[in-house]
Amino acid sequence: MLLAAATAPLAVACTTPPPPPPPPDPLAELVKAALSDAALATAVGAPETAAARTEHAARLQAEVDRATPRVPGSSVPPTTSASVPPPAGASREALVPALQAAQKQAGALVASVQTYRVGLVASVAAGCASLVEALS
Amino acid sequence: MSVDAVQDALSAEHAAVWTYGLVSAFITVPQQAAAVADGANAHRARRDVTERWLRDAGATPRPPAAAYLPPQPVDSAASAIAALIAVETDSCVAWRGVLERTEDGALRQSALDALTVSAVRATRWRKVAGLTPASITFPGAGVG
Repeated sequence: MLLAAATAPLAVACTTPPPPPPPPDPLAELVKAALSDAALATAVGAPETAAARTEHAARLQAEVDRATPRVPGSSVPPTTSASVPPPAGASREALVPALQAAQKQAGALVASVQTYRVGLVASVAAGCASLVEALS
Repeated sequence: MSVDAVQDALSAEHAAVWTYGLVSAFITVPQQAAAVADGANAHRARRDVTERWLRDAGATPRPPAAAYLPPQPVDSAASAIAALIAVETDSCVAWRGVLERTEDGALRQSALDALTVSAVRATRWRKVAGLTPASITFPGAGVG
């Protein structure tokens, strides 16, 4: 009886098809933008912006990793931030519009993200506005 | 509870209005004086909207204190600007606190606006003070 109870869930686990992959985490897009801005800022010699956007990417990625469900038995690690090559033809003029777009992108998630994420997302949006002001 | 967080944000706005009034006598560079006037108007408007929100929520808005204590005595342009950096930074913390305590999309949007404009003004005053970095990476997060 005890044995049956213990093995039944296992049998189910072996025969059911794997669950569909979880929907993409909306914060993953913010990570991409932050890494891209950091690469652009580095390429055009804006170290303060590069440092701040790298920090944004790291905190956002940490939250994405924390929230990503691990499939039991799967050895695939959670997606990690790959380094982004600086965009071709990078110019300093491109930096402010990129930061403004990032501010808008993060701001658009503020109304809908979970309460435990909203502070981080809002601070990233406001942080981008702060970077724009610092560059002006 | 979001009402308590909004009351805290209102207190931060009262402090900001008071501080902008206090410093105006010490900031004489025309461009900076104009920024002081802008900041004072923005915080008054935010205070009024916040009081209205609280009344609509059935709460009694917290009144302002008689005076506020800046981090250092304000007796010069430099100490005036330090006081402005402090109140804008405090506002950022208070409005992020509102964001973390509500699911109401409209209140979140309003709190994000308040957080953002305070972060921008804090950055402006940090630039005036010559602080590096001038930017704030995670406004409202308490440190940085």
